[in-house]
Amino acid sequence: MKTYADKLLMTVSGLLFLMTASAQVEFGPISGDAALGKTSYYDYGCYGCHGFGGIGRKNLANDVSGIMFREDIFLTYLRGRSELNPLFPTQSMPNYPADSLSDADALDIYAYIRTFKDDPPDVEDIPALKAILDGAKAQ
Amino acid sequence: MIKKTDQEQGGISRREFLGTSAAAGAASILPTRSEAAPQAAVPSNGVPLSLPPTDEQMARELGDTLPPSTMRAAQRPGSDLIVQVLRDLEIEFVASNPGSSFEGLQESLINYGEIPNVMPEFISAMHEESAVDMAHGYGKSEGRPICALVQGTIGLQHSAMAIYQAYHGRAPMVILVGRDDKHFLQAHTADDVAGIVRSFTKWDAHPETLAEALPAIQEAYRQAVTPPCAPTVVILDTEVQKEEAGDMQVPVYVPPVIPTITEQQADEIAAGLMSAAKPRLSVGRFRTPEGIKRSVELAELVGASVETKSQVGPMSFPQSHPLVGPDADDESDYVLGLEASGAHAALHGPHLRTLTERDLTSINFGGIRPPVRLRRDAPGQNDLTADAEASLPLLISAVKRRANSKSRKTVVLRTRHHTDVNHAARLTAIEAALEKTREGWNASPVSTARIYAELWPLIKDLDWCIGGPSRFSSSHHMQLWDHDKPYSYLGGHPAAALGYGLGAATGAALAARERDRIVINVQTDGDFNYTPGALWTAAHHQLPMLTIMHNNRAWHMELMYVQYMAGVRGRGTDRAHIGTTLRDPYIDYAKLAEGYGVKAEGPIEDPTKLAAALARGVDAVRNGEPYLIDVITQPR
Repeated sequence: MKTYADKLLMTVSGLLFLMTASAQVEFGPISGDAALGKTSYYDYGCYGCHGFGGIGRKNLANDVSGIMFREDIFLTYLRGRSELNPLFPTQSMPNYPADSLSDADALDIYAYIRTFKDDPPDVEDIPALKAILDGAKAQ
Repeated sequence: MIKKTDQEQGGISRREFLGTSAAAGAASILPTRSEAAPQAAVPSNGVPLSLPPTDEQMARELGDTLPPSTMRAAQRPGSDLIVQVLRDLEIEFVASNPGSSFEGLQESLINYGEIPNVMPEFISAMHEESAVDMAHGYGKSEGRPICALVQGTIGLQHSAMAIYQAYHGRAPMVILVGRDDKHFLQAHTADDVAGIVRSFTKWDAHPETLAEALPAIQEAYRQAVTPPCAPTVVILDTEVQKEEAGDMQVPVYVPPVIPTITEQQADEIAAGLMSAAKPRLSVGRFRTPEGIKRSVELAELVGASVETKSQVGPMSFPQSHPLVGPDADDESDYVLGLEASGAHAALHGPHLRTLTERDLTSINFGGIRPPVRLRRDAPGQNDLTADAEASLPLLISAVKRRANSKSRKTVVLRTRHHTDVNHAARLTAIEAALEKTREGWNASPVSTARIYAELWPLIKDLDWCIGGPSRFSSSHHMQLWDHDKPYSYLGGHPAAALGYGLGAATGAALAARERDRIVINVQTDGDFNYTPGALWTAAHHQLPMLTIMHNNRAWHMELMYVQYMAGVRGRGTDRAHIGTTLRDPYIDYAKLAEGYGVKAEGPIEDPTKLAAALARGVDAVRNGEPYLIDVITQPR
C-alpha cells in the first residue's frame, strides 16, 4: 500500500512534468458539482486571495501552473504544507486536511474553479487603458 | 513662566501622570491655580480617588449655567491675540470638535478681526481623531501646519491615536489643548495634560500666562516645521484665553534656522556630481514643495538621472520629468541621496529617532522607540545629517561655480540620453502594467485596478491629489498615473493603523478647496468606519473630495491572516469570517453618505456602470462638492 509520502512524491513528479509540458496537457475530468462548489468557495474564503472569480492576488482563472490540471493534484496540493508535509513546498496557502474540508467539498470547489475563465478585451479595445497607453506614448 | 513638562526638565513621567491626573488638589509636581478644587479622598492604599462632579459642575457641563461672567468682561481678550499669532503664521485652518475648555479661543476664532473666521477658519470635526487626521493630511499636502484644537484630557485622548499616526508620518501640526482646572469637572483636567501624548509628540508647553502663551505657540510652530517635523502641543488654560491683553503686542515670529551641510561639503558633492560620467540623484521626501523645486534645478544643472518616491508618498521629484528613470545604482558612478540613501553621499534631515530623549523612562508606549525597520535605516558611512532641502541652495551654487562650457555640453547630451531611455522604460512599464490591469476587467465585483484605470482619463488634466492610503486597493495608481505634484499621493498609514484615510483625505481637501484642486480617496470600508463623520465635515465645508469605496465588506487583511492561521492549524477556514468581515448586514455607504449630506451613489457591482459614476463624481467635486461612490470590489 502506498504511503502518503509515496502518493505525494508521485504527485509532485507528475506535477513537475505537467508544469513543464503544460502547453500540451489536457485538463482531467471533473467529478464535483460546480454549483455546490461556488458556495464552498465563498464559505471557505477562497476568494480572499484568489478573487471572487479567480482573479486576485493569486490568479486561478486561466491557470496553467499544473495544480488545476487534475483532481488528484489539486487535492494533494490542498492537503500539503511544507511544515506538515515537507516534500510539498507550499507555504503561502492555508492547509486543508480532510477533516476540515472533505474530498467531496474540495472536488466541488475544484469543479467551480474550472468554470473560471478570464477573457478580458485587449488593451487597445478598452478606452481607459488605451488612453493611458496613448498618454504615455505622447510624453 | 512656562511650565517645564519634559522629563529631563524635572516634569513628571507618563506613569506619574496617570497616577496623579485623577487627583486634582492632591500633592502634584506642577502647581495648580485651582482654589476651588476639592481634595480627593486618599484611601489606605495611598491611591487617591477621583471625585464625582458636584451639582454645580454638572450644571455647567450640561449647559444649564453660563460660563463665569468674567470670561466675557475682557475688552481685549487674550484669545484674540492667540488668533492673531495663528493668523501671522498663516495657519489656514483650526480643525476642532467643540469643547468646554476653549470657548474663549473658539469665540475669538469665529469673531476676532475685520474678516473673522478666515486664516484660520474654524473647521468642524465630528471627532478629535478626525481633527488631527485632517491636520495630518493638510500637513503632508502642503508641507506646513494647521492646528487641531481639542479639549484637555478627554479630547486629547480621543485624538491620541491620530497624533501617534501623525508622529510616524512626520506631519507638521500644532495641537492646541484647552484646559480648565478652576471651574470644571475634575475628569476634564490634569496637571500634566500633554503627558498623555508626550512620547509621540515632538515638543509641548503649558504656559501660565498670555505673555508666555503667544511665544509658546510660535515655538510650537517652529518646532513642528523644523526637521524632524512632527506634532507639537500647547496647553492653553481658560484663564489664559480670557486674560485681558491690555496693550500687549504679538511677538515677532522668527523662523527656524535649519542645519545644512557646509560649503566645503557642498563643494565636495558638487565635484563628485560634475566629474561623474553617470551621476544620479535618489530623491526621497522633502519637507516642503521648495525642496522639490530645488532638486529639479540641481538635476537639470547636472543632467543626472533621478529616482523618485513620488508614487509612494508626498514631496518628492516629479515622476514624469524626463530625467526620472530606472538606471540601476550600479550603473551610476556617483549617487547622491536627498532624504534617501545614496551610495556616495546622502543628505538626511534628523530622524525621529533623534527625539528619543523625550520620555525615555516612561511607560515606553512605543511611539518614540525606533522600530526595527528604522534600525535597519541606520545612517551609512556617507550619510550627512543635514536637511537636504535647506542644503540644496549651497549645492546648486557649488555646481554652478564648477560649470563650464564643456560640462554644459555634457549635460545636454546626458539629458537627451536620459530622456530617450527613460521614455522607453516608462512605456515598457506602462505596457506591462496595462496587461496586468486588464485581468478581470469585466469581473463583478469590480477589480480595484479598474477603478484606478477608469479614473485616470477623467482627472489626468486636472490638479489632483490622492488624499488617503491606497495600499489595500493595491495602489494601481503607482503604475498607471503620473505623480508630478508635491501632493500627488500623500502615502499610506504611517503607523499602519486604521481610521486615518477619511480624515486625512478631508484635510487634503481643505487645502484643495483653496487651490482649485480635487482630492481622490479610494477608501477601504474597514478604515472608513472608524470616523465616518468626516464626511459631514466635507459636506459642511464644501470640500472637493471624491470618495470611492473600496468595499470588500471586510477587514480583509485580517481575514486572510485568520484564514492562514486556521489553515496552518488544520482547523478549516470556513469560520475565518467571524470578526473579520462586514456582513449581516452589509453597510450601505451611499445611504450613509447621504445622511451626512454628501451626494452619493451605489453600490456598484456591474463594472460597466463604473466609468459613468466616476465621471459624475469628478464633475461634482470639480464644482466644489464632496461625492461618494460605493463600489463593491474584489478583495484587493
